[in-house]
Amino acid sequence: MADIYLVGVGGQGIITASRIIGDAAISAGKNVLLSETHGMAQRGGSVICTARIGDAYSPLIPDGQADLILSFELLETLRALCKSNKDTLVISSTEKIVPLSVSTQKLRYPTIEEVGIQTKKVARDFVPIEARRLAEDSAVPMSSNIVMVGALAGTGVTGLERRDFEKAIEMNISRWVPENLDAFAKGFQITSKWNRA
Amino acid sequence: MRAMDRLLEAKPGSKVLLLGNEAIARGALEAGVAVATTYPGTPASEIGDALARVAKDAGIYFEYSVNEMVATEMAIGAAASGVRALTSMKHVGLNVAADALMTFAYTGTRGGFVLVTADDPSCHSSQNEQDNRYYALLGGIPLLEPSSPQECYEMTKEAFAISEKLELPVIVRTTTRVSHVRGPVTVGEIVPGLKKKEFVKDPSRFVTVPAIARVRHLVLLEKLRQAESMADQSPFNKIHRIGSSGRLGIITSSAAFNYAMDAAKALGLSVDVLKIGFSYPLPRSKVIEFLKGHDSVLVVEELEPVLETGVRAIAQHESLHTKILGKDDELLPRAHEFDQAIVASALSKAFGVTGSKAVEEVVDLQGLPVRPPVLCAGCPHSATYYAVNKATNKRAIFASDIGCYTLGASPPHSAADLLVCMGSSVGTAGGLAKVNDKPIIAFIGDSTFFHAGIPGLINAVHNGHKFLLMILDNRTTAMTGHQPHPGSAKGPTCCDITAVSIEEVVKGCGVTWLKVVDPYDIKLMTETVIEALAQQSVSVIIARRECALIAKRDEEGAIIEKHQIDQEVCKKCRTCVDRFQCPAISSIDKVQTIDETLCAGCGVCEQICPHKAIKGVK
Repeated sequence: MADIYLVGVGGQGIITASRIIGDAAISAGKNVLLSETHGMAQRGGSVICTARIGDAYSPLIPDGQADLILSFELLETLRALCKSNKDTLVISSTEKIVPLSVSTQKLRYPTIEEVGIQTKKVARDFVPIEARRLAEDSAVPMSSNIVMVGALAGTGVTGLERRDFEKAIEMNISRWVPENLDAFAKGFQITSKWNRA
Repeated sequence: MRAMDRLLEAKPGSKVLLLGNEAIARGALEAGVAVATTYPGTPASEIGDALARVAKDAGIYFEYSVNEMVATEMAIGAAASGVRALTSMKHVGLNVAADALMTFAYTGTRGGFVLVTADDPSCHSSQNEQDNRYYALLGGIPLLEPSSPQECYEMTKEAFAISEKLELPVIVRTTTRVSHVRGPVTVGEIVPGLKKKEFVKDPSRFVTVPAIARVRHLVLLEKLRQAESMADQSPFNKIHRIGSSGRLGIITSSAAFNYAMDAAKALGLSVDVLKIGFSYPLPRSKVIEFLKGHDSVLVVEELEPVLETGVRAIAQHESLHTKILGKDDELLPRAHEFDQAIVASALSKAFGVTGSKAVEEVVDLQGLPVRPPVLCAGCPHSATYYAVNKATNKRAIFASDIGCYTLGASPPHSAADLLVCMGSSVGTAGGLAKVNDKPIIAFIGDSTFFHAGIPGLINAVHNGHKFLLMILDNRTTAMTGHQPHPGSAKGPTCCDITAVSIEEVVKGCGVTWLKVVDPYDIKLMTETVIEALAQQSVSVIIARRECALIAKRDEEGAIIEKHQIDQEVCKKCRTCVDRFQCPAISSIDKVQTIDETLCAGCGVCEQICPHKAIKGVK
């Protein structure tokens, strides 16, 4: 059983990322359930996806029970911490999408250091990923979600093989496949040292 | 296999990852559906979208209908002739379609007729969380409730068979957590069904004048007795045993079944779970047998106590003394969706067990900036709302409607004062106008106008109501995923469509004062609103500008005039932040900037900046 909690902002490719995890699990012969919650807006609202690999009935992850939190946006990382326990690995993109409430209500957007400190209080570790830059380095600037999938795969938390993910990327991405696989590899490499296997 | 075509190409016996809604589409295709219709609405939209994608290759007829009523009537016409027909909609869509459905249960069907309703406990994207299982009880319509993508597929397929056997329409009811769950589905073979069938006249059955309707009601009641024995035999009503067989039981359905299973396992409970998949009519014998075999039974269902009431009635009738627990005992709530923790807590209380793991340290999330859904950068609705507020100085009362533009309800636009349902802006504006002296403005989207706004407009003209109707025409059904509507000239490959002119419809309703304005032109829009409000009858402005997301997609590669704020000129007055609210404009540490990647180049901020500090950069 591995429970992955994915969060971010509408338009960041989170649902595609969750589908890649789902297809990877199926090609590995495992059961998987994915859910998506994206509210009313086409863009810009909080998005939550869950991926439960194993034999759960419900796709929703109870509080404090995620094995890994994969956050595509720094502020959303904090919001996701209700799903964390002391054994949860939190991987967070360093990307900031400042919500309108910060501007209109004159609130403060947290720094990466603050997010790291808060996260480490309740989680096993905080792993920041410069997903946007790495995607740009792979010549697919829109594919920071693929970098994040790589970062997830690198930790080994899912129990899935690297090739399962690569196959799933080929199933779900139609353009710039070699570049996307390169973006995946960049994410994978960073988190390999958190792999307990 | 690419995600787009896995729906059609998945080989019999193979396991594919499908969304619950896609699994419904696959089930319908395997059942040989001939005609499929929908009006888009979350969480049902992907059923229609999936069928639209594959309809041409699958050789079936699919359409986005003008509203759920017509979608249902389309399917009725086809199924009454003898082919299989599917119609899908969100829960509130069934309110619109109910008139047709209630009487169709009397005439019954020849070809399999399946109506999918996707309910939305917790109102994730809806104006209410009504429980549509009541429609099955209200109309006398057999009801199936899947819990997983695999069941979405199986039950849709079986629903056609049940419908044909009973000659009744069948409802398949999902919830957001069933429709929007992706999971493995082992599929079967797509067998092309009958695509054409000549309607055999039988007025004593299909023409529901009172004398015939009275007889047909008796026929329906007899069929429901047959349906009850089918429910008793149905493999969708079965017992799952957790741990060693005990005296404790759970009766459950839909998504609640999933939470019940996970919660019971997490608590280490020994319990028998009667999962009801064919839930109306209730499988009476199965329920009696289950109650007899258990001392204490908790009924676990989201929203209304439909199963619970049915189970209690059976127990009373059979003089059974099994302890039945549920919502009547306030062990489970009647509002909002469940999760594992809610069901675990109810199980603990009902059966006197403990074992829920205490949550460890919690992070204080108080004061964290919220991220509510907002109108996109470049959204023409934002521009319209800015101009309207400027023209009315916030004195007007706004009757709003269902669509992306509802998101303008929050400040600074505050562009919604009254909202109930699709099309309600126009009707409620008439009522508001009769009893208020303030200016009344109704906002309705293009798709919503076609769906349910036209009768309201005819009523306003006919009865002489004085208000301004603004049709926010972004050329698409945006919020549900950019489906076409009757005003669209092009749709998915399957659909050969003709655009209906909104102007001509408005004029045809008898409106004499009509203007079409580009919302990006703030000055013209402001002046036009002022002029419209001075009219002595209903006036209509069509605010026409393509949805910014579509424009961005269609103009991929085109040069967008990104805007920037000249910090030397900017007086930090915050007009752009406080009165317009574009997601691309942020104000951090008292400095306003425009995010170049988000800017859609609409140029509205340039027009509204009092200090001319914002300029387009090529």
